[in-house]
Amino acid sequence: MASSHSDSAKMEQIITEFFAKSLHIILESRSPCISSRNFSGEHIVSSPSSSSSSSSSVRPRDKWFNLALRECPEALENLDFWHQSNLEPMVVDVVLVKRVINWDPANFYPKAELFRNLSSKEVYSNCWNSDQEELGNGRSEKIIERWIVQYEARKAKDAGKGSKRSSSNVLSSIYKKSILLLRSLYLTVRLLPAYKIFRDLNLTGQIRSFSLAHRVSSFVEPFTRREEAEMQRFGFAPVDTSSGRLCLSVLYRSSLSDVSSEASTPMSPQLIPDYVGSPLADPLKRFPSLPVSRGSPSSLPFSRRHSWSFDQYRASPPSMTFSPSPTHSEPYASASNPSSSRFPPPGLPPHPPEVSHAHKYNASFDEYYPSPTFSPSPSPSPPIYVPGSRLSGALLRSESAPVNIHATKFLNSPTLFKNQNLPPSPPLKGTRYGPSMADKSMYPSRDGATVDKMSFVRRDDIGRPSGLKIPSESSANISYSRSSCRSFPDDFDESEYTCAFDVDEDDVTDPGSRADLFDKRRHAHDPLQSGSFMPIRKSQGAAVGALVDMLKKAPPLHQDVSNLATASQASGSETWSNTFQEYCQTPKSISAQDGTSSVASSAFLASKTTADALEELKGYKEIKNLLLSQGGTGRSRSVTNHAAAVESADEGTVKF
Amino acid sequence: MNCEVCNLKELEVGQYEIRDVLRCVLHTIIFHRALGLVRPKEIDLELFDITYVQCGDPEVEKKIEEKIEQFIGWVEKHPNKKSQICLSFYEVKNKHGSWFSKQIEQLYWEHWYINLNVAQQPKAHSVKSHNCKVVDTGENNQEDTGTRRAALEASLRDVLFQIIRFVNDKKEHVPPIPNREGVISFPYEIILPSSSDSAFGMDMIKRMLQTGHPTMLS
Repeated sequence: MASSHSDSAKMEQIITEFFAKSLHIILESRSPCISSRNFSGEHIVSSPSSSSSSSSSVRPRDKWFNLALRECPEALENLDFWHQSNLEPMVVDVVLVKRVINWDPANFYPKAELFRNLSSKEVYSNCWNSDQEELGNGRSEKIIERWIVQYEARKAKDAGKGSKRSSSNVLSSIYKKSILLLRSLYLTVRLLPAYKIFRDLNLTGQIRSFSLAHRVSSFVEPFTRREEAEMQRFGFAPVDTSSGRLCLSVLYRSSLSDVSSEASTPMSPQLIPDYVGSPLADPLKRFPSLPVSRGSPSSLPFSRRHSWSFDQYRASPPSMTFSPSPTHSEPYASASNPSSSRFPPPGLPPHPPEVSHAHKYNASFDEYYPSPTFSPSPSPSPPIYVPGSRLSGALLRSESAPVNIHATKFLNSPTLFKNQNLPPSPPLKGTRYGPSMADKSMYPSRDGATVDKMSFVRRDDIGRPSGLKIPSESSANISYSRSSCRSFPDDFDESEYTCAFDVDEDDVTDPGSRADLFDKRRHAHDPLQSGSFMPIRKSQGAAVGALVDMLKKAPPLHQDVSNLATASQASGSETWSNTFQEYCQTPKSISAQDGTSSVASSAFLASKTTADALEELKGYKEIKNLLLSQGGTGRSRSVTNHAAAVESADEGTVKF
Repeated sequence: MNCEVCNLKELEVGQYEIRDVLRCVLHTIIFHRALGLVRPKEIDLELFDITYVQCGDPEVEKKIEEKIEQFIGWVEKHPNKKSQICLSFYEVKNKHGSWFSKQIEQLYWEHWYINLNVAQQPKAHSVKSHNCKVVDTGENNQEDTGTRRAALEASLRDVLFQIIRFVNDKKEHVPPIPNREGVISFPYEIILPSSSDSAFGMDMIKRMLQTGHPTMLS
């Protein structure tokens, strides 16, 4: 009798472990919080012959049913909560949770696992943090699988059925059958449609509008008839034991089409440019992002990033409806969403020119993009300009800078245009503005870097619309009034507030013929100019940025040039000024006095080839070198300010 | 001891799909019969949206790969033929036979027949692209390939469920798990159509098919 007692105890244990293992198998392939799929490969016993040694490393739990599974803490926790008696059925519902759009980006975590235990013990836990709010907030749940593990005990009179055979044989036979059952369970969970969702969630780092959750309980929450009609059943053959039988079955939805459409959309590639461009507010994230983002299953910050941008995309539909892709819409969306923390000057009054900015910007971009110089240009400049992480910002800026100058011109000095007959620009103005809208569609097709820059520019452009005014203010001091375009008084405060460098970002567009090279040159000069110039008004450091800005923005270029020359002389660099003048043909051309040169420059621009561009680039480098050699503290500081402006994080340093 | 036979549903495969299909089916069967301590290894098929499970034994994987290569070689020599691959499990018993006979006896307890109908579409469309195994030829029949492959994927899924059902329904014939270490609890063999070294095996199979029982019962 003792043996039979121990046998029944063993049987009990087998049943208990069977429940545990089943749960483990199911949850392991349904709960995405375990980044799982790579795991198993690493731990495979390398060779059968060495298995004796390997078995020593096997956890006791793995030995049960000869099936070693990945750690799945959830399963264990669940079991502890659930497991009262082998006579209770174990019902595992796999729930498809769809998040509805209104997540709060700030609070969003990739919380995949909302894990509820609905049994009488009512346990709520989660593999990552989850707020209760998130549960109530905009989620829809749908049970897509229901697994039922059950031990059906036979009545006592039948219990002796297996007694003819030796009990140990019975036990081992039962054990063997349960092993087989669990093997097929292991395969089945991977063949059912829900596994695709799980795999998808794992592969994409759980950045989805849906996730999988599960509930373990001991009672069956009945389906509606309609729900039941949508479910299919797969019943595993029960394992007969001496006193009952082990049953395992699953009801599952054979079609998960509503999810699959979404699941098939590859999100990450689309998000990458977006992601890169977006973190303007916190540049630190910019760099790690790109490598990480490719297909890796998600570090936490990374996912957050994603979700953030994604959210942006969804939550704030782009103010400009014409941008089709997330890449686009995101910057615009941010524009439409001035409260966004990314934009330091939050209280900016909305500016009507916003749209026109965009237009201009596009126009200018349109201009730039085809130009051969565009892509190569950023690469040479970085070493000279900025150390470390700011580099990219500086680069970006340098790209955008040219645009600003022209835009300013257009906006603020229409008279100038007319009077001075800038050859290429007026016609361009007409033509470019229209198409510029359409041009947006071009962005996504460009390579990531380009997009990055572009979005960067645009963001500044839109996000800080006031920027434009600042230069006009500052330039007003220098040259003439641009008041025709805007109301300056409103913005004046801002100009104080924002750093000078911000300013040049916002304005965009040279509808006209300007090649970015020129702008870059100017840009290169700027620090120096500003350095020399600033002392006039303010502390050097702060002034530098402002000056550079002013110079860039100042529409009357001839005045600029003269100023620059003065500045350069003040700083004692004759050479530099010469070079500068030499290179700044275009600015001159714009000036009223120098009608001929303007024509020449325009012609030059029109006929520009790649070779020319390269030449210019070289010249640009020379200038930079000059600047470097000359540049004192003023310059370096200006660079810093510059970068700071890009980040728009610490405005204080640049205030003036 | 019974010998159970499972005839799997015929699969129509293209030449370049043989590999994926056979891997999937063979590993799935063996996973069900590898009753030693297993660390399952999930594999996503390349051509199909199906995940199957390997038992994680490198020897098994090696053997399966070898057999698949052999089979592909055979298919190339025998195009447009239906073919059958047999995966058999057996027990080894020492036979107390006469002194000149083999001392070891293979007791088969299960045969799985994998039925493939290898279609030759690629050749039909472009005769010369003989070595184009992975990429389907011609863009115009890409659509065809898509639908055909979807159909094959569904059939393959069916076959996998057929395996699972069989495993579930037939448990009695599986021998007791030998008390030995290792993933693979039972010896097995994979027999390809008319490969030279398996003539004996084929012979065996034919005999077994005729009798419905393994020829040797202990």
